[in-house]
Amino acid sequence: MALTIISLIKQVPLPSEMRMGEDGLMDRTKAKSIINIDCQFGLEAGLQLKKQHPESRLIVCSMGPGSFDASLRTAISMGYDEAYLLSDRKLGGSDTYATGLAISTMLKHLGFTKDSKEPFIILAGRQTSDGDTAHVPSQVAESIGIPQATFVESVKADGNGNVIAKRIIEGGYQMMKLPMPCVISLTPTGIPPRKPSLSGAIKARTLNITTFGIDDIGLGTEKIGISGSPTIVAKVINIVSERPPITMSAGHNEATLVDSMIANFTKGGNVLEKKEKVTKADTDRPDFPDKDFRDGARGIITWAEITNGKISRPSLELLTPARNLANQLGNDTKVLTLIIGKDIQPLAQTLIEHGSDEVILVENDKLEEYLVLPFASIFEQVIKARKPEIALFAATTSGRELAPRIGMKTDSGVTADCTGLEIGEYIDKKEKVIYTPILESRRPTYGESKLATILGFVCPQISTARAGTFEVPVRVEGKKGIVSNFKPVLHDKDFVVEIMKTVRGEGGLQNLFEADIIISGGRGTTNDSLGLIKALAEALNSQGINTEWACSRPVVDEGVAEYARQVGQTGKTIRPKVYIAVGISGAIQHIAGMKESEKIIAIDHNPKAHIFHNVDFGIVGEYQDILPELIERVKAGFTFGIEPKKK
Amino acid sequence: MSIIDTVSTDVLIIGGGPAGLATAIHLADTLKLKGLNHRILLIEKGSSIGSHILSGAVIKSDVFKELLPGVDFSEIPFNARVIKDKTVWLTENGSISFPFHVPYMNNIGNYTASLGKICKYLALKAQEKGVEIYTGFAVDEILYKDGKVIGAKTKDTGLDHHGNKLENYQEGTRIEAKITIFAEGTRGSLAKMLIQKFNLNEGRNEQIYSLGCKEIWSVPQGNIEAGQIYHTMGYPLNSNEFGGGFIYGLNDNKVAIGIVVGLDYQDPSFDVHDAMQVWKTTSFVSKILKGGRLVEYGAKTLPEGGFYSIPKMYVDNALIVGDSAGLVAMPALKGIHLAIKSGMLAALTAANALAKNDTSEKSLEQYEALVNNSMIYKELYPVRNFRQGFTKGLILGGLHFGTQILTGGAGFFGRLKTHPDYQTTLKLSELKAKPFKERFKGKLEFDKVLTFDKAFDVYHSGVHHDEQQMVHLHIKDQEKFNAVNIEEYGAPEQFFCSSEVYELHTSKDGKKELRIHAENCMHCRTCDIKSPGDGITWVVPNGGNGPDFQNM
Repeated sequence: MALTIISLIKQVPLPSEMRMGEDGLMDRTKAKSIINIDCQFGLEAGLQLKKQHPESRLIVCSMGPGSFDASLRTAISMGYDEAYLLSDRKLGGSDTYATGLAISTMLKHLGFTKDSKEPFIILAGRQTSDGDTAHVPSQVAESIGIPQATFVESVKADGNGNVIAKRIIEGGYQMMKLPMPCVISLTPTGIPPRKPSLSGAIKARTLNITTFGIDDIGLGTEKIGISGSPTIVAKVINIVSERPPITMSAGHNEATLVDSMIANFTKGGNVLEKKEKVTKADTDRPDFPDKDFRDGARGIITWAEITNGKISRPSLELLTPARNLANQLGNDTKVLTLIIGKDIQPLAQTLIEHGSDEVILVENDKLEEYLVLPFASIFEQVIKARKPEIALFAATTSGRELAPRIGMKTDSGVTADCTGLEIGEYIDKKEKVIYTPILESRRPTYGESKLATILGFVCPQISTARAGTFEVPVRVEGKKGIVSNFKPVLHDKDFVVEIMKTVRGEGGLQNLFEADIIISGGRGTTNDSLGLIKALAEALNSQGINTEWACSRPVVDEGVAEYARQVGQTGKTIRPKVYIAVGISGAIQHIAGMKESEKIIAIDHNPKAHIFHNVDFGIVGEYQDILPELIERVKAGFTFGIEPKKK
Repeated sequence: MSIIDTVSTDVLIIGGGPAGLATAIHLADTLKLKGLNHRILLIEKGSSIGSHILSGAVIKSDVFKELLPGVDFSEIPFNARVIKDKTVWLTENGSISFPFHVPYMNNIGNYTASLGKICKYLALKAQEKGVEIYTGFAVDEILYKDGKVIGAKTKDTGLDHHGNKLENYQEGTRIEAKITIFAEGTRGSLAKMLIQKFNLNEGRNEQIYSLGCKEIWSVPQGNIEAGQIYHTMGYPLNSNEFGGGFIYGLNDNKVAIGIVVGLDYQDPSFDVHDAMQVWKTTSFVSKILKGGRLVEYGAKTLPEGGFYSIPKMYVDNALIVGDSAGLVAMPALKGIHLAIKSGMLAALTAANALAKNDTSEKSLEQYEALVNNSMIYKELYPVRNFRQGFTKGLILGGLHFGTQILTGGAGFFGRLKTHPDYQTTLKLSELKAKPFKERFKGKLEFDKVLTFDKAFDVYHSGVHHDEQQMVHLHIKDQEKFNAVNIEEYGAPEQFFCSSEVYELHTSKDGKKELRIHAENCMHCRTCDIKSPGDGITWVVPNGGNGPDFQNM
C-alpha cells in the first residue's frame, strides 16, 4: 500500500510587502508572492517522509485565485508529483471555517476520506502569515473526521500505519502516535525547506495542474464565501507601536560603538510620541430594528486547561474577559467553566474563587493529558446540553487547535488569538437590521500591524484569547458557586491517538522572572558556548546587579543551553528592566517572550536583522568584539542605570 | 537517492542577459527556418530574468531590428530616446562643456533603457519561440567527457557554512547538452574556468575591466529632461585614472547616474563607490539631483580590453558570447548591441552545427569567421588600442588616441599590451600620491540625502543571500593574504568592493583580519579581478541569491 502525502499550501504576499485594501481584506495585487513560510516547512516534512518511504506519492493542494498556480509549480520543482487547485470566485472572502470546509470537500472528492483503504497523511503549515489563525488544519481534520496533531516540529511514519509526531507545547514537547489517515500541521522550526531543483523545475513547467471549481467537487454556496462564512471582519485599524523607534549606536570600532550605546542609554533613547487619537463622532445609529440571533443561547463557557496538575495561568486569565462580557450582557449572564481530567475535583473551588459561577467537571482517568479528539467531543456535548452564547479558550497550543475543531462541529467558526473581547452590535445595512448583542473579538493581524474586529453570527461565538493579555482576576477566598458533573459519551475512536511522552521544562530558573537584567544569546553566539554572554552576566552580578543569562531557541536545539533558559513563545516570557539580545535575529517567537521588557538592547552583526525593529538600542557589530568591551565598562561601573544592591 | 538527476538538451545557454537571450531567440528562429526541432534550455542564476542585469544604459538599437525582424519596434520597452548629448569636463568647483563630440561617442537617436526590462521582454519573446527558461538556478560546474565539454551541473544546495550536508541537501542537476553556450556576462565564473582549461587567451592580451556603480533617482520635474544625457570626465578622477560619469534623463522624472572607473588604478585605497559620492557633490551633478531621492543602487564590472583581449570563443561543443568574451566597444562603452550580435552569430553557428550533427571545434570555428566579418569586428578593430593607450594615463592616452584615429587604430607602436588589473595596484609603501581618503578629505562624510555610505546604497539593491550555504568568496591562501593583501596593501578589498562585503577588523591587540559579509554581494566580480596577487575567487552562490534589480 503506497503512502500518499498531501501538503496543503497557501500563497501569501511577502510579509515585508503586505498591504491591505480599504475593505479590510488583503490586497494581493501589489506584493510579491511566496509560499507561506510554515507551509514550506510542511512541504519539506513531506519530502523527508518520502526519503523514508520512496514509493510514496506526493500531492500538493491549495485554494485560491489562479495566480496560486506559481506556488503549486514551486512545490512540484521541490519534488512533489501532483498538484490540485480549488479556485472559484464564489469562494472569495471565505473565513477559516469556510476554507476548511472547502478544502476538505476537495480532498474527499479526490478520494481521501476517513474510510480510505490507502493510507494518507495531510501536512499543512501551522498558520499563515496573512491570517495567523492556525485554524484550517484542525478544521480540515474535523471535517474529514480524522485525528490531528498541530504545532508539530518533526514527523515520521513508523511503517505500521502510524505517524510519530513531535508536538511543541508550552514549556516543552510531546511525542505522539497517530493512526493514518491524519492531519499534521508544521511549525517553522523543523527542517528548513529545500531549494527547488532544476530537474523539478523542468517537470513543473509542463505539468498539468488540475483546477477545480466548487461545482466540480459538489460544494454548494451556502457555507462558503463572504455570505456563507459564519464570521466576518467588521473593522480594521492600525496598531500604534508600543515601543519607540530604535536608537542605533554610531562608531567605527567596538570602543566607540559601546561609548555611543552607553551615551544613548544614559540619555534614555527615543520616546514614543503618543498621537492624540482623533475620535470620529459615531455615525448616527440607523433606525433599524434589533435582531437577537442567539436563538435562546445564553451564558459564557470557558475551558480550564490543566498543566502539571494545576489550572494553567492563561485559563485563569480568561475569567477576566468572561466576567466582563457577562456584565456587559447583563440579565444575570453566567460564566461556566468546563474542566476535563483526572482528580480534578479539588480544582473547582479555585475556578469559582477566580470568578466562575459554575464549574462543570468531566472526570476520566484516560484524560489526564489533553487530547484533542475526546476533548472536542466532550465540549460539543456540553455545548449541546447547556447552549452557551459564547465559548472562550486560552490561545495556547491546545486551545488554538481545540477551538477550531469545536467550531467546525458547531458550524460557528472561531476568532483566533484575541487581545480584546467586548459586547457590541452590528449594523447590517443590507438587511436593515442591527444584530445585538454580539461578541466583538479584536485580534492583531498582518504581522501585528493591524487590529481587526471579527464578528460571528452563529452561537456559540468562539474566540481564543492571547495568553498574557488579561490579568488573572483577583481571587475571592471562600466564594461559593455550583460544581456539577457531566458524563459524556465517549467512543474508542476518540482515543486512537496515543501520547508517548510529554516533556515539560522544570519550573526551574525562577530567577529569570526576578532578575533586573537578562542577557540572552542566540544562534550567532554558540561558537564559544555562550562564554561571553555568561561573562557579561557574571560581571554584572559582581557589581551587585541581579543578572541572569538566557537564550533563544536554536541555542537549546544545539544543546548549548538547557531548555529552562529559553526565552520565547515556546519558552519563558520574561519582563526584566533591561534585556540584552546578542546574536539573536529576532524571530517573532522570540520577540513574543521578551517584548514586555522595560528597555531592550540588541547586538547583531546583520543590520537588517528583524530584532532591530523591536528594541530601544541597537549595535551592529560582531559580538566577539562588542561584549569584551561592554564587560570592561561594566567592571568600571556601568550598570545600565540600575542601583546595585548593597551587600 | 544517490542517482543524480540528469537532463538532456540540444543546446544549453548559461546566462539570461542580452547575449544569452539573443542566442536563444535567433537559434530558435534559425532552426525553425531550417525545419529543425531542437531543445533549447536557458538557465539564469538571478531569481528572475533581469534581476542581475545592470547597464547605463544607452543602447544602439538597430541590432534589435535584426534580432526581432517581425516585431513592431515600439513594442520593445526602451526608455527615452536620446535628444541631447553632451560631454562635460568637471573640476572640483566647475564644469566646461566640450564644444564637440568625442569621436565614437555621439548618442543622438540611441535609446536609454533599463537593460533588465529589455531582457525581461526578450525572455518572453524567447519563450514564445519555444525556448525553456529557468531562473534561480546557479550553475557551478562544467561537465566534461574525454576532455570535451558535454554540459554543466547546477549547484548542490542544502549545505551549511562548512559544506556539511544538511537534511534538506539536494544534489544539483546534470544538464547534458550537444552545445553549451557561455553567456554569463562579465568575468563569468564558468567562462573563466573554460578559458583557463583550454588556454583560450593564449597569445591575447589580459582582459582588463572597469567597475561601474549606478544609482537611479527620482527627481523633481524640471531637473533633467527625459532623453537628455551627459557624460562627464575629469573630477573626481585624476589623470592616472581612466573613467568618467554618466547622467541619463529617463521618463517619469527618473534619472540614472553613475561612474565607471578602470580597475587598473594604482591607489590601494581607491573606492569607486565613494568616488561616485564625491562626484555627486559637484555642482553640476548635485543640481540635477536636488530635491530627489534614491530609488535603487547597483554595480557591475565590464570588460574593456577590447579586440586584443578577446579569447578564442569556441572549443568542442561550446561557445562564449557577449561580455564573457569581452565584447565591449571602447570608448563608447557599448556592449549590448555587440552581445546581441555575438549571440546571433553563435546561434547561426550552433544551428549549422546541429543541422550537420557536428559540434566539434572544427565545425564551430565558423563563429569566429562570422564575428570577424560582422560589425563586431568593424567596431572593435579600429579602437583595438584605445583602452591600453590610457593605461599610461589620460594625457598620453589622449594623445595616443589621436594618433590612432589618424592611423586607423594602430597608433605608432602597433599592439599595446595589458596587465591584469590586480597587478597595477601599488603597495602602501609604493604609493607616492595622496591616498584616496586624503584626496577627498572632508567629502567622505555622507549626508544620506545626496550622498550615501555603501551599506545604505546596498540596502537599495534588494540583495539577499541564503544564510545556510558556504561563503561564495574564497580566499585562496589565507596566510599569504594576511601577509600581503592586508599588511602590504592595506586590504584594498574593503575599498574596491562595491557593496560592503569586505571589512578589515582590527582587534584591541592590533590583530587584523578580513571579514567577509557575503550576504551583501552584488555579484560585480571586482574582488575576483582586483584583489592583489589574484587573492580572491568569486564562485556562484545559491541560485536566486544576489541583487534584485528592478530598473537597472
